[in-house]
Amino acid sequence: MSAVKVKFDKYRFLELLSPVLGFLASIVVLMIIVVAVGESPVKALVAIYKFSLSSSAKIATIFSMSIPLFFAGIAVAFAFQAGVFNIGVEGQYFFGGLVGALAGIYFHLPPLIHIPVVVLFSMLGGALWALIPAILKVTKNVHEVISTIMFNSIALALVNYLVNDPLSGLGKGKSLEPQTAKIQSTALFHKINHVFSYIGWKIPDYVYLDYSLIVAIIMGFIVWFVLFRMRYGFEIRAVGTSLDVAGYAGMKVKNLQLAAFLISGALGGLIGLQEIFAIRGYYTYGIASGLGFDGIAIALIGKNSPLGVVFASILFAFLKQAGYGLQFYTAVPNSAIYVIKGLMILFIVVINEITAKYIRALRKKEAF
Amino acid sequence: MGVSTLIFFLVKGLEISAPIAFAALGAVFSERSGVVNIALEGIMIVTSFTIVWASMAFHSIWMGLFFAIVAGALVALIHAVVTITFKVDQIVSGVAINIFAFGLARFLSQKVFGQETQTPTNPYLFPQVLGINSVALWLIPIALIAWFVLYRTVFGLRLRTVGENPEAGDTLGLNVYALRYAGVVISGALCGLSAATLFPSQWISGMTAGRGYIALAAMIFGRWDPIGAVLASLLFGYADTFRIMFETKIPIPGQFVQMFPYILAVVVLAGMVGKARAPAADGKPYEKGEG
Repeated sequence: MSAVKVKFDKYRFLELLSPVLGFLASIVVLMIIVVAVGESPVKALVAIYKFSLSSSAKIATIFSMSIPLFFAGIAVAFAFQAGVFNIGVEGQYFFGGLVGALAGIYFHLPPLIHIPVVVLFSMLGGALWALIPAILKVTKNVHEVISTIMFNSIALALVNYLVNDPLSGLGKGKSLEPQTAKIQSTALFHKINHVFSYIGWKIPDYVYLDYSLIVAIIMGFIVWFVLFRMRYGFEIRAVGTSLDVAGYAGMKVKNLQLAAFLISGALGGLIGLQEIFAIRGYYTYGIASGLGFDGIAIALIGKNSPLGVVFASILFAFLKQAGYGLQFYTAVPNSAIYVIKGLMILFIVVINEITAKYIRALRKKEAF
Repeated sequence: MGVSTLIFFLVKGLEISAPIAFAALGAVFSERSGVVNIALEGIMIVTSFTIVWASMAFHSIWMGLFFAIVAGALVALIHAVVTITFKVDQIVSGVAINIFAFGLARFLSQKVFGQETQTPTNPYLFPQVLGINSVALWLIPIALIAWFVLYRTVFGLRLRTVGENPEAGDTLGLNVYALRYAGVVISGALCGLSAATLFPSQWISGMTAGRGYIALAAMIFGRWDPIGAVLASLLFGYADTFRIMFETKIPIPGQFVQMFPYILAVVVLAGMVGKARAPAADGKPYEKGEG
């Protein structure tokens, strides 16, 4: 029995190797870029360290930045688990964030109710924006990759229109960035930085560790519980592993994919929470973009598991900071980080295939 | 609308359709060989930067075109290596390449021109015919050549075979991997022509605006056929031309007008149900039998 356990662990180790090796390989490429632009790798590493890791406040900043990335990763991962490729998280959070913000602006509720309400409305908005691509996928077989990409562009134009015109919170003649009216104080997300002082971690006021962190922890736990402790989650994962087998086993494949798609959209709707409810206090189409695409990489690196997504989102937050650090202290532009992100995904999936093949060969050998 | 406006609309529409149509033709080659290529968007980003950069470096738009085609083929080659040799999920690879390409063009623009989001204006341009970029007119012969290659040559037959039934192709002695590499690399090279017709006078970050994805929708609407894909691209191109020419005269908000091509793509795809079939092995990595 114990021998079997050891072998199992060996495979598990090999499977976990690909994200680590992929990360290291992309750091090597980053260093090659650094040398190519005429900087020294040591200077670059020092720049990255100084900008992102050199104080506890900087480390707290990375955790703060990883909150929206976590939502993005878990949203994509949930859909992936059901074999759905949700590239539409981008549009889903732009729309979901607006719906959540509207609940924060126009509802008058006590804080204890208002905050869960804006969270639920953000999820509702995200799910709503996933609805049409989800229905088209299961009823008309329209591939979700193309439909969601189109819906991303539609969402950006739509929120641009809504914020500029019918929902504009600016008086005539104001030259500020177009934005909605202010969110009620009862719906604003406060910081919980002081909580960390109990464990001896002083986090300065400019770092945002706010209610969205609590939402992230709750959602991460729920997703883990649904996927790995409930029959429903088992069925979703079965669909993701093999449509045919799940179908033969009598599972309602289309319903499961539809549900996973909508849940993915709902989780995606939470990406904007921190920026809208904690940082800005209003909605604008100028909220940080591209997080939906980061979510794809994060889900892949985290192997679609909630815990993996936690680590991957922290890693991605670090990469973002690293990019700013390089831009700030060296001649390496921030865009190099996009190059690295793309390459990292490629490295990870390629190494993954190689190790998977190796594991298959090992298993075959052991079988004889 | 006067006759001159109508003629201008017809000619201009061809120019605006051309970038989508060349990419859609590329998509046909890639997918008929069995590889889904959503990296077209990223490839188009790289080629549209390259054509400006190389034109200015070599003082010739033709050199620009040459290097754009080479760059497109090279980026497509990454997709081919990752998906054909390493059998990675083709969509994942495409997404990664699109992120990579977005960063690469900005990085190069920053390093070469000192500006991350746009290049200076490129003074070397293609000759104009009928008031439009003459390369757009190449679309017609190139579409016909693509049709001929796909349906009337041995190479085309083989390419379609490995996209439909790679096992059978393998049994017949075809080199499945080499043919798929060819399909994907051709799709990248054709994105060089997309760059030539999109806006060779300047590169601006975000200028491709999803045309690579629209090209995929056009290819599906065109039923994986070169002529069909070009006709579908013309639909998108003329819709966009109409938008550009009459945007100010249409009494609806500009943002809704901007959404139009994307909504059109979704509607077109939704209306395709049961009317088209992808090549049987499209999107599926081929694993040579392991004895």
